[in-house]
Amino acid sequence: MRLDDGWLSPRAGPGTRESRGAELPVLLERVARGDRDAFEDVCRHIAAPVFGTVRAVVRDPQQSEEVAQEVLVEVWQCACRFDPGRGSAMAWVATIAHRRAVDRVRSEQRSAQRELRAAAHTIAYDDVAETAEANLDRERVRRCLQSLTELQREAITLAYYGGYTYRQVAALLGVAAGTVSTRMRDSLIRLRDCLGVER
Amino acid sequence: MRTHRPEPHTLAGAYALDALTRADQARFERHLARCQQCAAEISGLREATARLALAAAAEPPAGVTQRALAAAARTRQLPPLTPGTPPPSPHRRLAAAAFAGLAAGAPGGSPFRRRWLTRVAFVIAAAMVILAAALGVATHSAQRQLQQDHVHSAGIAAVLTARDATMISARVSTGGTVSVVMSGREHALVFAAAGLRALPSTSCYELWLMGPGGDRPAAMLPVPRHGMTGPVLASGLKPGERLGLTIEPAGGSPHPTTRTVLQIAL
Repeated sequence: MRLDDGWLSPRAGPGTRESRGAELPVLLERVARGDRDAFEDVCRHIAAPVFGTVRAVVRDPQQSEEVAQEVLVEVWQCACRFDPGRGSAMAWVATIAHRRAVDRVRSEQRSAQRELRAAAHTIAYDDVAETAEANLDRERVRRCLQSLTELQREAITLAYYGGYTYRQVAALLGVAAGTVSTRMRDSLIRLRDCLGVER
Repeated sequence: MRTHRPEPHTLAGAYALDALTRADQARFERHLARCQQCAAEISGLREATARLALAAAAEPPAGVTQRALAAAARTRQLPPLTPGTPPPSPHRRLAAAAFAGLAAGAPGGSPFRRRWLTRVAFVIAAAMVILAAALGVATHSAQRQLQQDHVHSAGIAAVLTARDATMISARVSTGGTVSVVMSGREHALVFAAAGLRALPSTSCYELWLMGPGGDRPAAMLPVPRHGMTGPVLASGLKPGERLGLTIEPAGGSPHPTTRTVLQIAL
C-alpha cells in the first residue's frame, strides 16, 4: 500500500470535507494546471507533515516557518514535475521538505563553522514524537523503530530528524562511516518492510 | 545480490535520508543514473522516509499556509518537461569539452587570482574556447536568435580580449570548478563552470553581483551539457562587487534565498 491510498483518512479533520476522498496526486494534477483552490486543499493536507519535518530538523521556530512556507511554494511551482510513476505524492512532498530543511541547517553550519555539539544526541525520535501530534503514522513508526537495533534506530533518526550527514552521524556515534551508511540502508529497508509501504 | 553490489550502492539509505555530503551525493547520483535497480530501491526507501515525515506532523501557525497561498498567487509555475530537447551542436560540445579540461586543470582550494601576464596562455585558451562555443551557438541557432547571439558573442569577445582581462578560478563548495574572465574596463565578466553538482529539476544555479548596494541577479546558469556550464556573460559590474552563486528554485529568484555556494571578490 502506498501512502496516498491510506494516509489521508486518519488526518481528515475540520475543513477537509470538500476534498475528502480527493487523493493528493489528483489534487497535484489540478495544481499543476494552476488551480489555486486545489493548492489550498493540498496545503491543508501537507502543511502539518511539512512543518513538523522542517521543525524537527531546523528547530528554530521562525526559520522553520520560513522554510515550511518555501516548501509549500515549491510544491505549487513544481507540481507538474511530480511523476506518480516514481513514487507517492507524499514521498515527493516529504523529499522536498526534508531537503530544504537540511539545506538550511547545513548552510548555517558552513557559514558559522559550527561544531557538532554533544547536545545533538538529544535529537532523537522521542523528542520529535513529543511535539508531533498523535496520529496513526506516529504510532506505527514508533513501533517499527523499536524493532530496529539501537545503532540502526539512531542512524536513521539522527540523519532524518537531526539533519546530519552519515559522516556526522558516524562521528556522533563513534562508529566507522562505512558502518553507518550500511546501517542506514539496512534499517530503512527494514522500516519500509515493517511499515508495509510498497516499493 | 546485495553483498556483491558496487560500493556506491551502500549509500542508498543515506541518500534517501538526505544524509550525504555534497561530494558523496554527486558520486551516488552518477551511480544512480546508470542503475535502474537503485532508482527503484530509492523510491521504496523514500516511501519509508515519508512516513518519518508524517510521524513528525505538527500543524504550523496559521500564517504559514496563508503566506504560502499568497506567494503562490504571484509565483509563476514551472512548465512541464517536454521530450525532444535537441542535442548540443558539435561545435558547442567540442568547445565545452575543451573548457572542461581547462577548468578541471585549475588548482583547487580557496579562490585565487592570477594577473593577466602570468596566465596569458590560459586566458587566450579560454578566450578561444569560449568564442568557439559562442560562435557555435550563433551558427546553429534559429535565424531570429542570430542577432541576439551575435550581441552575446561580441560581449564575450570584448571581455576576453580586453587588455585588463583577468582570469579567476575557484571551487564551488557543493562541487565543481568555475573559471571567470573579468574585465573592469568592459564592466563585464564571462563565467563558465565544469562539474557543477547536478540539481533536481526543482532547482537551478543563479549568478549574482553582490555589492554594498544590494545583490543583483546576473544570470541563470543554463542546464549543463556533458558536465559543462556556460559560457555566460554578466555585464554592468560595479566597483567593489563580488560574484556569487546560489542554488535557487527553478525559474530563479529576484534575491538570493540560499547561502552562496561560491563567492569571488572581483
